[in-house]
Amino acid sequence: MTKRKRSLLVFLCVSVAMLLFSSACSRFRNAPNVAAGERYVVISPIYNEIIWALGAQDKVVGVDLSTTYPPDVKKVQTVGYHRALSAEGILSLHPTAVIHDNNIGPPQVVEQLKQLNIPMKTFSAKNDGFDGTKALIREMGAYFHKEARAEELCQTLDAQRAASLEKVKQYPDHPRVAVIHFGRASSVYLVVGKGGGGDGGGVSQMIELAGGQMAVENRGMQRMESPEIIAQANPDVVLVTDYGYDRLGGSVDQIKALPGVATSNAARNNRIYRIEENVLNYFGPRSGENIAKVGAIIHQK
Amino acid sequence: MTKPLGNRVALLVALSVITLLVLAVSVRYGAIDFSVSAIGSALASLFPGQPEPTLAQRIFLELRLPRAILCLLVGASLGVGGTLMQALFRNPIVEPGLVGTSSGAAFGSALYFVLGGVFHIGMSLWSLPIAACFGGVISTFLVFLLARSRKDARSSIVMLLLTGLAINALFMSAIGFLSYIARDPQARSITFWSLGTLSGASWKAVQVVAISTIGGTIIAFRYAKQLNALMIGEEEATYLGVNVNRLKWIILSVNVVIVAVATAFTGVISFVGLVVPHILRMIGGADNRFLIIGSALTGATILTLADLLARISVRPAELPIGIVTSAVGVPVFIFLLRRRQYIF
Amino acid sequence: MLQANNITFRVRDKPLISGVSVSFAPGKLHLIIGPNGAGKSTLIKVLARLLRPQEGTVDYQDVDVQNESEADLAKRRAVLSQAVEVAFPLTVREVVMMGRYPHFGGRPSSVDVKIVDDVMEYFDVTEFSERDYQTLSGGERQRVNFARVLAQLWGAAVNSQGSPGSCRYLFLDEPLTFLDIRHQMDFMKKVRSFANGPDVVTVGVVHDLNLAARFADDVVLLDRGRVVANGSPAEVLTADRIREVFAVEPTFVPAGDSSIHLIFN
Repeated sequence: MTKRKRSLLVFLCVSVAMLLFSSACSRFRNAPNVAAGERYVVISPIYNEIIWALGAQDKVVGVDLSTTYPPDVKKVQTVGYHRALSAEGILSLHPTAVIHDNNIGPPQVVEQLKQLNIPMKTFSAKNDGFDGTKALIREMGAYFHKEARAEELCQTLDAQRAASLEKVKQYPDHPRVAVIHFGRASSVYLVVGKGGGGDGGGVSQMIELAGGQMAVENRGMQRMESPEIIAQANPDVVLVTDYGYDRLGGSVDQIKALPGVATSNAARNNRIYRIEENVLNYFGPRSGENIAKVGAIIHQK
Repeated sequence: MTKPLGNRVALLVALSVITLLVLAVSVRYGAIDFSVSAIGSALASLFPGQPEPTLAQRIFLELRLPRAILCLLVGASLGVGGTLMQALFRNPIVEPGLVGTSSGAAFGSALYFVLGGVFHIGMSLWSLPIAACFGGVISTFLVFLLARSRKDARSSIVMLLLTGLAINALFMSAIGFLSYIARDPQARSITFWSLGTLSGASWKAVQVVAISTIGGTIIAFRYAKQLNALMIGEEEATYLGVNVNRLKWIILSVNVVIVAVATAFTGVISFVGLVVPHILRMIGGADNRFLIIGSALTGATILTLADLLARISVRPAELPIGIVTSAVGVPVFIFLLRRRQYIF
Repeated sequence: MLQANNITFRVRDKPLISGVSVSFAPGKLHLIIGPNGAGKSTLIKVLARLLRPQEGTVDYQDVDVQNESEADLAKRRAVLSQAVEVAFPLTVREVVMMGRYPHFGGRPSSVDVKIVDDVMEYFDVTEFSERDYQTLSGGERQRVNFARVLAQLWGAAVNSQGSPGSCRYLFLDEPLTFLDIRHQMDFMKKVRSFANGPDVVTVGVVHDLNLAARFADDVVLLDRGRVVANGSPAEVLTADRIREVFAVEPTFVPAGDSSIHLIFN
């Protein structure tokens, strides 16, 4: 067979194989559970955490990739990264509503969902502090008809917060803490500034409640391009959120290699710790007890 | 030349059939699978007097169908873009992604998203693709001019690839800068731009890309014979009566426009323009009349297959399509580099 | 008739050829010789109208060339260069067919196909016709290119008005570089026979003085951009000239009907 005919044959075989593979894939997939009733696709880590805490999770049919708490949430299908969604993917789960926290993209997909008259819901309360979090829990409790449970969560939150603050008082020192977070959208390491804001959410509030001080001054999250950012701040403790920490294989040396970290007090005393994003970055039902957790981490020697 | 010509026409017919088959599969399968009867009733609902389309039918008509067609068009434009670029630079290891066109177009698009709101630039349907063309033109012409100095064909292609690398890096970091200064809603538009996606497909996008792709391909085809002459050298082509300078500017412009407009709607998708002409040359030879049409068909097919994979492999989530095309394209690129006759 | 009138071609103020005036009559083989850097290639390119001289004119005296487009001129003027690099898999037939490109619009006619067949036959490359040009040796490639170039000029000359009788122009820019002795001789014989055509002007550049002496009707000796001598081989290739221009000591050895020069330092 001539070389050309052989190449054509290979090309045809590969195309046919890909076609068969694709159609075979569809045959083996699970038929969607088209049960009657409410079906929600929820694209927000905090909303999902509250829904699970409220006990309303049986109505959730899809979550986003960044939702990682509680561990049970992994049993639910993921619709992808919250900024790289696909309308068809969401719709294949036959949702009665898409619940999101105004942080979804790309914009064209949001448009598509709106044009198809898919109900989109965002809660008005924001988890920007303890009061905001309680308001959110109550609002969501009303939406999911779990008002009693919502009240319980709020009371627990207050109680745990009070207990944590007591515990934190026992620490004599207020270490300067730098928090490093890996931004998946921009695929870079970011350092969280004192002013909070943006995706920095509750970080500075949590750190201060836990008896520490934010070492880096600026607002929001900043790229770690210049080593001066951390070097000048000279933190006593460096916290790295889970995804970013694991991405470097959990190697403290590699973290020290991030711009400006190596010369800091934290690096010298090996006070570099891993922390779950869902414990530190935003306020939620567990934030009361999380204060104590964070406090314990940053005060360890 | 009649016998090989007959073969080539047969090949093009075969490629068209394959493209239609692949289109049919891609229209049926995805996060949601549509049966043939479902498709039929969805199309029927378009006719007057039929009941309003259901949600499922609307998903098919407003999401799936335009996406499948946009995929064909974008694939065709990338395929033709690759062929034209290779003919222009007289080397089979170039493609719009490597030579800065895609990243320039992506930069133009990003500029539009970030600044368009600030300066209240007319948000018509054509503003975005025009901004993308603007970016694509700057980056491609930069590479073209900077890499032109050598007379020796061999070192000039190395210069070209290296300059393309540098310009790519420049524009990608410019996009990074834009996403840095962008306010959050704007930033969401340019996230993941470097990986490409067809999830934003709409009939409006199809309209625009159809005009640029089909128009561009027809214009390019008219110059196919002159591009053939260029294959044996610029001097030789001049002796055969070709106005080489004019040819270069026209083809480069057509090339940039069709790739930039496609990139404006889907982000950067690399390596299609590299792989497609290579496959076609293997099966039907290097005549540009065959290559231009063949690469439109084959590009359409390949991108549709890649999109199918992107939609199905992790459903209901989606892979960015650039990941799929790179997974195939990078090994091919390395393989081509190692075939010594092309560089050394 | 091809007339060069006082041509000067400069690159960044450095003249590569200056004040060159020569006429090239049809039916003869004109060969340009000279040492390296004499400007031979530049002269050929100016004569072939690839380069425009800063001073002087090049007249193709049978028709007003100013009004003739490049595309039309290409029907009557062809250039064979030193080596042609092709980066794509083209068959030999495709390369030769390119010589007919100036003569057809979309698709080659049966006449074009026949000419390509004939010219491939003439240069003995028919056996390669479906082979990839890139796989051929240097000598084989030159034969293919010569076939292409002659295909461009094959048949009776026709000018832009479509009337016969005007000249065809063949330029050869050091075409023998990759050829072995046998193919060099074969080549020159074919060129010679083509150049005899009454409506053909043939101008070539060669390095080998022996070939020039043997095959040329008219020799142009170029040195440092200027014409040093112009005339028959016997007139131009004198011992003094050779010594002065090429800086070597020639010995003339008579041999049969042509005289062969042995050159040594």
